[in-house]
Amino acid sequence: MAEKAILYDATKCTACRGCQVACKQWNGNDEVIPIIENGVDSKNRGSYENPADLSPTTWLKMRFTEVEAGGRVRWLFTRQACMHCTDAACVRVCPNGSLYHSELGFVSYNKDTCTGCGYCADACPFSIPRSDRNLITGIAKMDKCTLCTTQGLDRLAEGMEPACVKTCPPGALIYGDRSALVAEGKARVTALKAAGWNNAYLYGENELGGLHVMYVLDDSPAVYGLPVSPQVSAATIAWKDVIQPVGWAVGGLTIIGLGMNWLVARANANKEGK
Amino acid sequence: MTHHEVEKYRKPIRILHWIHSGAFVLLFLTGLIIFIPGLGFLAEDSWTRVIHRVGAAIFVIIPLIYLVINPKSVGQGLKKAFTWGNGDMGWLKAAPRYYFLGDEKEMPPQGEMNTGQKLWWFLTLVFGVIFVITGAVMWFAKLSAPAAVLQWMVFVHDVAFIVTGAMLLLHIYLGVFHPMMTEAWNSMTGGKISTEYAKKHHAKWYAEISKGKE
Repeated sequence: MAEKAILYDATKCTACRGCQVACKQWNGNDEVIPIIENGVDSKNRGSYENPADLSPTTWLKMRFTEVEAGGRVRWLFTRQACMHCTDAACVRVCPNGSLYHSELGFVSYNKDTCTGCGYCADACPFSIPRSDRNLITGIAKMDKCTLCTTQGLDRLAEGMEPACVKTCPPGALIYGDRSALVAEGKARVTALKAAGWNNAYLYGENELGGLHVMYVLDDSPAVYGLPVSPQVSAATIAWKDVIQPVGWAVGGLTIIGLGMNWLVARANANKEGK
Repeated sequence: MTHHEVEKYRKPIRILHWIHSGAFVLLFLTGLIIFIPGLGFLAEDSWTRVIHRVGAAIFVIIPLIYLVINPKSVGQGLKKAFTWGNGDMGWLKAAPRYYFLGDEKEMPPQGEMNTGQKLWWFLTLVFGVIFVITGAVMWFAKLSAPAAVLQWMVFVHDVAFIVTGAMLLLHIYLGVFHPMMTEAWNSMTGGKISTEYAKKHHAKWYAEISKGKE
């Protein structure tokens, strides 16, 4: 099956946050609104971002970045949610394959089998996975954007678009075949460059083997507060590709060595006994 | 022939050994299932993490209790890990022929702990401390430490896991299966070994404890 993707165009986004609401609504992730007497317990955090951060029940959040350039302030928006990497660090470190790539190329997970180790949260270059963790017992379950493929709530299998895409009023989000969206994104970047946005960039075309959520940006990723060259961390590679094989080798050689010692030493002991 | 015995491990030491080693085996097995992908399903729903943490608490608390009860013994025990002498080089040279072929000719007389045991005990102390520090960070700073720090803590914890896992296998093997270590198991269960075994395996120590007695 062809790989699918989401294309987000930051130049079209109005930051209405309809996608956030649609995401919560479809996936049943209710937000708890803290109430005080005669009102809502609200805080000024110095930003229109709301909620303050991703959480096990907030899989998508619009990020607001204020930049001063050329004597004016620009208010930039990006979509903070799972980027569905091809080379996904979370899939690499998941101890029992609870995180995996779906046939559409997305990073799916089986919440039932999640052990709550939190390795994915630590390995993710975009700091996306979240869990409710009991700090004393360590009991936890990870949650993140499933691109509307959660079992029982699978929009894609029913031929529908992801909820965030469906609801987006300015059409800043589109869903489709990844190859078609790469072409579309490139065309938009070319148009932006022609209009004078020299640093316009299609984020996610090649990052981490190709992301399944791509951004059309009118400036460099750094300006938008995105990791410029996201990488699978050295610790992830050291653990998965070095420590695990070394563990197998050391364990195996120890058992073989002790077994050989036992055979030789027993044979000698028997000989001397006679 | 009368059977003479000497006490190798006092009862508090044996209790400490068995509780602590029991906790270690628990920690080892619950760690193993998250290390081997094929066993990972056993860790679903975090329940092995709860056991791992109970094991970790025992692993830390039991030696501390022993330290409070008998600080002198702890001091002596720690000292042994750092006391190395001439007999140790000789042991290293003689060990392959000794452990494979049972050749005792080149083996210098050993103290209460032979060189291998001292080395094992030294590594136990080093990796025990590493386990506790890295484990404590992963336990208590999981929500506050930077992600990279947590990832390297897992890395170091797993290096210690691999080394001590091999040591555990070696320890069980020498204590239970090796044809020459006929009384090692008895020494840690009943506490006593025969004088013959003591003379043969720990001649230096036997000479020390029997001085002035015969």
